[in-house]
Order: sequence, then C-alpha cells, then structure tokens
Amino acid sequence: MSLFLPKLSCKKDIDEVIKNVAEKVLVLRFGRDDDSVCMQLDEILSKTSHDLSNMASIYLVDVDKAPIYTRYFDISYIPSTVFFFNGQHMKVDYGSPDHTKFVGSFKTKQDFIDLIEVIYRGAMRGKLIVQSPIDPRNIPKYDLLYHGI
Amino acid sequence: MGAFYCAVCRQTDFSGKRHIYGKSHQSKLKVVIVKFMEKVKEARRTIKNPQVDKYDCSQHDSKFWCYCCGLEVPKHVTNGNLTVLHGGLLEHMSTREHRTNTHKFWWENKADPKLRDKFIITEEETERFKAEVARALEKFEEKEDTLIKQHAALIRSQEQNRLEILKSVLEPDPEPQSSATEGQHSVEQPTSFAGDWGRSFHSRSGGLVEQPGPSTEEPTHSRWTEPGLGLTFIGYQDSSGSGNVHTGGVPPWLQEDPEEERTEQEIGPSLQDFLKHKEQEKLRKLPPNRVGANFDHSSHTDANWLPSFGRVWNNGRRWQSRHQFREEESKTNRRKRRPDSGGKGPKRQKQLSNGDIPHS
Repeated sequence: MSLFLPKLSCKKDIDEVIKNVAEKVLVLRFGRDDDSVCMQLDEILSKTSHDLSNMASIYLVDVDKAPIYTRYFDISYIPSTVFFFNGQHMKVDYGSPDHTKFVGSFKTKQDFIDLIEVIYRGAMRGKLIVQSPIDPRNIPKYDLLYHGI
Repeated sequence: MGAFYCAVCRQTDFSGKRHIYGKSHQSKLKVVIVKFMEKVKEARRTIKNPQVDKYDCSQHDSKFWCYCCGLEVPKHVTNGNLTVLHGGLLEHMSTREHRTNTHKFWWENKADPKLRDKFIITEEETERFKAEVARALEKFEEKEDTLIKQHAALIRSQEQNRLEILKSVLEPDPEPQSSATEGQHSVEQPTSFAGDWGRSFHSRSGGLVEQPGPSTEEPTHSRWTEPGLGLTFIGYQDSSGSGNVHTGGVPPWLQEDPEEERTEQEIGPSLQDFLKHKEQEKLRKLPPNRVGANFDHSSHTDANWLPSFGRVWNNGRRWQSRHQFREEESKTNRRKRRPDSGGKGPKRQKQLSNGDIPHS
C-alpha cells in the first residue's frame, strides 16, 4: 500500500522531484496515510505504479508536512492528486468544478491508468489541459466552497 | 409615316399603323398579356382572402410594371410593420386612370377584348377587398398577441425553475452549520473571515469525517459518488497572502527558499559541460567509421611524437637530418643532466645546414 510508494516530507524534496522528473507524468498524492479514502487511493497507485513506470512517477505527500503546497493548491479535501509533466502543472477536466487536481479516489485501477495515459499523450502533444476519460459517474463529488468572492 | 416606338415589341417602327396587325407584334402582345395575367390572377385570389403579414424590406417593397399605364407600381401595401399582400396591385387597378389606360392599350394594340376586363378591378371588388383586409388585420393582431403571451409565460416558468434550483442548492449548507456551532464551542484556529460558513468546519480538528456535499436529490445515485463515502475535509486553505493555483500565484517549486544554503547560484550544467555536450552532439552526427574516430584524446603525448627533425632548408637524405637531430637531442639531454657545466658548450652542433652535403 503506502509502504511501497516513495514519500516526500518537505518542501525541498517536493521541489526537487518536480524539477527533476523528466519526460514522465509526475503524480503527487496529497493526503494522510491513515485516512481511509487515502488508503484506497494509495492501494490503486501502488498496484499500478510498476505498470506505469515508463509513463509516470508516483509520490505521496503528507498535507501536514508541506503546508505551503497545501495552501498553493487549495487542498481542502483529501486525498487530492496533482499531476505534473516536465515541471509544468497539468490540468484535467473531470467534469468537476476543479480542474487543477483530482479529489478523491479512483473507482478502478483502469480508470487511473486511462487517466495517466491521456495526460501523457496530451503532454507529449503540448497540451496543458486534457479531457478526462473517466466516466463522470465514477468521479467523486464534492462541494467546492467559493471563498473571497 | 413617322418614327413610332412600339412598347410591346420594344422596337422603333416606321411602317405606321400597319405594324400592329403584323404577326410578330401580335405574338409579342400575347406573351405580354399572359405574363401580366399571372400577376393579376394571383392578386384576384386574395380579394376574398387577403393575407396580412409581418415583415417589410425583404420582399414587400417589390414593384411591378403595368403595361397599360406604362408605370412602375408597388405590388404590396405596407405601413412599416405589416403588409397586405398584393394590395398595391389591386389598388392601382381600381383607379380610374388605369381603366382608361387599359382601354387605350387594348384599342391601340388590337388585343383580344375579352381579356380586357380582367385587368380592371371594379369598385365592388375593391369595397369587398377593403372589408376583408380590415378583418384580416384584426385576426393577425390577435394572433400576435397570443404568441407574445405564450413567450412571456415560457420566460416566467424558466425564471421560476432557476430560482428553485438556486434555493435547493443553498439550503443544505445552513443545516450542518447550525449543528456544528451548537456542538463545538472551542475554536482552535480562529480565522480572520467573519461570518463565513467555512469557519464552522475549521473549528474542528482534522480527521473527522463530515458530509461536505449537497444532499443528493436523485434516488438512483451510485454509491461511489455519494458524499457519504466521506472525503475528509482538512479545512479552508487561506492563501490570501501568497497566491493560489486558482488565482495564479507563484508556484512553490519556483520560489526561493530563504532558509536553504545558496550553494549554487546557477542552475543547470556549467558552461564547460554544456559546451562539451554540444560538441559531442555534433560528433554523433559524423560517420562512425571515419578516420580517427577512435582517437583517444586523453592519452598523453610528449613533444617527440611529430617526426620532424627541425631541418627545413635541407638538401640530402632524411636519415642524415634525423641522425643530426638525434645527436643534438642526446647532447642537449646530456647538458641537462649536467646543470653545473654552466653556459653553453661549444657550438659544434650549430653547423649550417649546407654543411650536410656529404664531403666527397
């Protein structure tokens, strides 16, 4: 589960990983290791990480240890998964209100694999935002609170 | 015989009255009458049932040519918003001038008198037409009114729909807020936002599962997307100081760390490495079996590698200059081994190059 995926515990590590992972999708899971939904997501991530190793690198980040990132990405619900490619933040339209991150867990491993593939292909073509291939019924719903408007 | 222009044939004729009885003129006349008849027939059909329509400009400004009067007459009657189709034609044909002109036309061109009356519209017909037009106008206005009312009703219902949806979305949020404020009185991290709903959530410590989503209205909702599956809410992230991914602030990985040591001011490879890399890239493009491809640039070479013996203006064989060179070299080496000898030895070696000619 989350024992097998590499963890990042400080801002510097996260910075390095973002800058150094090249030509692969970088998946950062923001959450807590003991949260139930995070555990589900981590299971999916670890089981698919080997198969996706040529396309993606997956890391786990604890939201309490890197508050600057939690604030920057406006992470209010965990788990939230953020995708990068060559140091560039990739946005995905899931049909949910927030395109900058994926909130919640995936229903099946295949959903996650499809999503990574679409992000990889889009990034190779130069797209900064791609359309998610996951069925909107399988995307967890959450309430996006608008602040400061 | 004068010059006489026949409007029907569109030709100038010098034959006088004879022209009209000719074959060509009569055939052309027939064609003209038939064409004109079409228009008049269409107009007559609307006497009993006048059509009133809305638009103007696109079609309702067209005119027609009355052969009898030699004038261009507007076909329809409009007042800007509504038009009575063929009204113009009928009106024109009911005028007295048109009547006299029609008679004249028929007499002059010797056309078939039976057809003549069709081109004139009597007073009775005009009266009837006017009555029908009034009625038609009323009907049209009624129709327009009902249409407008329908549109208004539709818009009102849409408005209602939207208001209802808005209300249903706003409703669930006040409910959990009220329960939260009753339960918890200790506020751990007071935020600066007064009266914000986020505050009630923020007061709880992280890790509690809550119902963040709106209550689902659809009964056939799949379990996966039910908020009851519980995404943990970790509190409102106040990023008003620095930017946010949504507001377009500077991402943390591009921000400088103040606590970290500045070991490298520059990022990336050094200039040397970069230039070397460039060279290597160029080399990769050359054919791999060229001469010197496997030349080892790092091997050390001393000064003796070049087979040059330092003699330029020599006549004679190479081995002689080589021999000479070797002698000199050994002498120089001997001299180097004896540093206290001081000064330079006799310059025996310094012969002129011409001296290499073997003495016979």
